[in-house]
Amino acid sequence: MTVMQSPRWLPGTLRARLILILGVGLLLAHGLSFALLFGERMDATRSMMLRNLYEDVPVSVALLEHLPADERAAWVPRLERRTYRYLLRPAAAGAPLSTERSRQVTGLIDDALDQRYPLRPRTVSSMPERYEVELTLADGQPLTIEITPAPMPVATWLPWVLAAQVLVLLLCVGVAVRLATRPLARLALAAECLDPAGNNVPLPEEGPWEVAQAAQALNALQARVAAHVSERTQILSAISHDLQTPITRMRLRVEAMEASPSQDKLLGDIDQVSQLVREGLDYARSASVTLGPAIHVDLTAFLESIAGDYQDAGRPVQLLQGTLASRDTHPQVLRRVLQNLIDNALAHAGSAETQLRIDGEGRACIDVLDRGPGIPADQLEAALKPFHRLEPSRGRATGGTGLGLAIAQQLTQALGGSLRLSPREGGGLQATVILPEGASRTIQP
Amino acid sequence: MSSHTDHILVVDDDRDIRQMVGDYLRRNGLRVSLAADGREMKATLDTSDVDLVVLDVMMPGEDGLSLCRNLRAGKHRAVPVVLLTARDDETDRIIGLEMGADDYVTKPFSSRELLARINAVIRRARMLPPNLQVSEASRWIRFGDWRLDTTARHLLDPQGTAYPLSGAEFRLLRVFIDHPQRVLSRDQLLNLTQGRDADVFDRSIDLLVSRLRQRLGDGAREQSYIKTVRSEGYVFSQPVVLEGGDA
Repeated sequence: MTVMQSPRWLPGTLRARLILILGVGLLLAHGLSFALLFGERMDATRSMMLRNLYEDVPVSVALLEHLPADERAAWVPRLERRTYRYLLRPAAAGAPLSTERSRQVTGLIDDALDQRYPLRPRTVSSMPERYEVELTLADGQPLTIEITPAPMPVATWLPWVLAAQVLVLLLCVGVAVRLATRPLARLALAAECLDPAGNNVPLPEEGPWEVAQAAQALNALQARVAAHVSERTQILSAISHDLQTPITRMRLRVEAMEASPSQDKLLGDIDQVSQLVREGLDYARSASVTLGPAIHVDLTAFLESIAGDYQDAGRPVQLLQGTLASRDTHPQVLRRVLQNLIDNALAHAGSAETQLRIDGEGRACIDVLDRGPGIPADQLEAALKPFHRLEPSRGRATGGTGLGLAIAQQLTQALGGSLRLSPREGGGLQATVILPEGASRTIQP
Repeated sequence: MSSHTDHILVVDDDRDIRQMVGDYLRRNGLRVSLAADGREMKATLDTSDVDLVVLDVMMPGEDGLSLCRNLRAGKHRAVPVVLLTARDDETDRIIGLEMGADDYVTKPFSSRELLARINAVIRRARMLPPNLQVSEASRWIRFGDWRLDTTARHLLDPQGTAYPLSGAEFRLLRVFIDHPQRVLSRDQLLNLTQGRDADVFDRSIDLLVSRLRQRLGDGAREQSYIKTVRSEGYVFSQPVVLEGGDA
């Protein structure tokens, strides 16, 4: 499977990418509009303050001007506003005005007072900004307007609303992304589990239009694959059945002939044809083998029984000392796998050994070992393909059809396991059936 | 063989096959009748004594498996049956044996193989008829701590773990189970356990018995399943219980 190369900074999954794009985009847009709104509001409050200042300052100054000097102190607090207040003292020491806004405000005050008072503005503090504008009333008393510009305080619930909005946003993104990616994952899973034998649960053809369409397409594909496989099996099995009767007739006829060298040769040919017919059928069936319920099998006893059968038939097959283990499996199918591997070893090496062991991941492994010529490393994988022959060492001379290992491979897959060929240490071939992780019970030796 | 000549009924829809099989069996000293279908088979069974039926599985109309089942249910239930299966397939073998066949040969077979199988089945049936009524429907046989699955050919312990048996071990255990509490000589055991690969079977019965004892958990001293009877042979000492087909 090739995966298209994508930029390194991009996350790998579609889900992460969608979340990234939608999340960042929506948050950015949201932030922008919020900033715009906030700026607008700042502008509005400022101009409102300036207008207030422009109308308010001349009235307040005129009021203080007309009041007797001793009553002014009582009135000053009443004239106080949110951003400025009046103080009956000279301005505090400070720097000249530094900001554009303070100069603008000072100019505004000057205009509002019709430039009748000389103003002495001072910046008292820059963070937070505070400046004072001092003038002198007609009776010589200093009056200072202290200005502390401040935006309208933000309501305390605003951050919460903001957080809630972002949350809703992210939630929506999450739901949308899930909606988009989940059917994909389901499709991928269904395609992966596609059983060529046709024992598939069809995908529900529901949901958004595109998803339903894809599910429908996959279901149709499943049906086509199943039809194809069953047709192949049917053809092979029909050929095989129809051939078996004439082959039986041929055999019986040749056997009834006078004994002669050509009779032997004919019988050898018939054996070869019938083996090919049998294994061709086996191979076709192995692609769609039906498994009954698994049973818990003592694998050591299982291997002993297989070695025993070969020994009773006079074939040298030994079970080497190994681990004890039991697994849930289908012994009839596993037996066929091992028989094929052992037959292969016997054909090429004359003898075979089997061994049970547990690998590093806790899986039960059954090795079938021989001391034959082995298989070159670059052909180990190809040797599992049907009709593959390795010339000349493992060729037709040994009488194989080239299907035994392919059948073993297919049946192992049907069991949920895997078959691996490797060179045996010290020469020969090692075929390993790795059984799937399954329920295992510890057994006492 | 003595004065009695075994009478074999060959049932196959293919005329050439049944005639060639018949010729071969006749040449080897057997009396042979031929039948092309179930009807002819029943007619022959009703009119003459048949010692064994060779029955083709794949036949148009009523096939061999259902003929075999009907035979087992009718008045000729004692007649041994050897099936000719068209497929080298576990299911056919298992179904065939469940239907009550005594053995089977896979097409394309050699006539010598068929003859050997016929002789073995007749010898078994004649030598020691089972004194236990092991019906074909009972797939599981219980004895002691064990249950024997007679079609899958493995032992089940009380926890349900399966211990597969080799062909020879299974045949020996079946002989013991079919004749519980009965002393069996080494010769009888050898004859009864000779199965498919009779010519190469050279393991001594004693070795096979010790292998089976090991599998059943019998020690050298404490023999709760297979007891040695000095200078006579062996006896299976556990009571045997049959269980239905779908337990």
